[in-house]
Amino acid sequence: MANTKEIQKRINSIQDTMKITKAMYMMSSMKLRKAKQKLEDTEPYFFGLQEQIRSILYHFPQMQHLYFDNRISDLQEEVKSKGYIVITSDKGMAGAYNHNVIKEAKRLCDETEDYTIFAIGENGRHFFKSQKYNVKEDFRFSANNPSVHRARVIAENIVQLYKEEKIDEIYIVYTKMTHGIKEEVEVAQLLPLKTASFVKAEMIEEAKKGLSDNTLEELDSANDYFLIYPSPKKVLENLVYNYVTGFIYGALVEGSASEENARMMAMQSATDNAEAMLRELSIEYNRVRQAAITQEITEVIGGAKALRNKKAKKKKQLTRVKQV
Amino acid sequence: MNTFSLKILSCNRVFYDGECEILIFPGYDGEMAIMANHAPMTCAIEIGEIRFRLPGETEYQHAIVSSGLVKVEHNKVDILVYSAERPEEIDKFRAEAALERAREQLQQKQSIQDYHVSAASMARAMARLRGVKDSKKFM
Repeated sequence: MANTKEIQKRINSIQDTMKITKAMYMMSSMKLRKAKQKLEDTEPYFFGLQEQIRSILYHFPQMQHLYFDNRISDLQEEVKSKGYIVITSDKGMAGAYNHNVIKEAKRLCDETEDYTIFAIGENGRHFFKSQKYNVKEDFRFSANNPSVHRARVIAENIVQLYKEEKIDEIYIVYTKMTHGIKEEVEVAQLLPLKTASFVKAEMIEEAKKGLSDNTLEELDSANDYFLIYPSPKKVLENLVYNYVTGFIYGALVEGSASEENARMMAMQSATDNAEAMLRELSIEYNRVRQAAITQEITEVIGGAKALRNKKAKKKKQLTRVKQV
Repeated sequence: MNTFSLKILSCNRVFYDGECEILIFPGYDGEMAIMANHAPMTCAIEIGEIRFRLPGETEYQHAIVSSGLVKVEHNKVDILVYSAERPEEIDKFRAEAALERAREQLQQKQSIQDYHVSAASMARAMARLRGVKDSKKFM
């Protein structure tokens, strides 16, 4: 059994750690509130964007374009070079948040021959670089405090690469908050866009199942006439930039809210664990202290007894001597 | 006057969601107006100023927007833009500083990509400043 001094030392160190985790818990809960507010503000745009893009694509004339997944090169190329935008946090201490995203991205990369990783956030970049994955070196963005401006710069970067046909498909791997408590890793395809016929089939399927707001008749009547001004190409150009920027911004915001949520949970459980450990240690400390006291008392009593016995013996001897 | 429902969504908020009589927005080759029962269409919005009139009012509402898309269908108009601001919300000094910065960047040698970014931020700053000036005129 450890002695009291050692246990005391341990208790102190746990208390110090608990102070840190408590402080981090407070900080992340504050940040979470901010991030959640941002998420709430962005969500109508994020979902509206996906819905609108779909309904615009629905009306798009059948045409071959770089931005659609019916490019001529699609039919020729065997191997597609894929780009993965991976959103992780800049800092650790966020439970399984980074681990989950990295695991998913790693799985995707291991499956494909030709890929490039666009890492947003220090954690993911560090991991993939140390594991010798193909990470784009000059793509350096932080995941902290997402802003529209940053999303715009990222989108400009990515779409440029896509236009030069250095990358054929672009995916984004991020964490999504579901019901404001649970985090889930999501993979979404940004480019190329789905063709009109694909979207049409999808929407009709959904309407049949009664999942979407549109009824079959509505979809049918929407077929007749649709003006695209000034030209499909010009609208498409705008649409792609809007979509990619909006999606990246939305994913960044979702990611940062999930990150803070994960960190808050991790710190909460760390504090709880520290409290449980302290409780056990304090019981052990008291027990050891009590044992030490008991031992001391027995020693004292034993000593006193021995002394008394000795005295009694001496007395007896003395009386015997006197008698003699 | 007939009305249609208008929804303006920007990245950080729902700018407007409700009925509207007439909407004027900057299109590719000039301003376009939409009134009730417009034919279905989709159109690109350029950086500039949106005006729309609420039912029963005579004054227009103003919003400075960045580029985006508008979709008209079933007498419903959805506008998606990165940012939408009221003229009174715009920080004139910030817009001026942004304009200055963009101008400076444009004078330097840049990649095509950077050129697009600074040209767009210059356009945004100019639209903002114009919006501030116009709103002064109405007041």
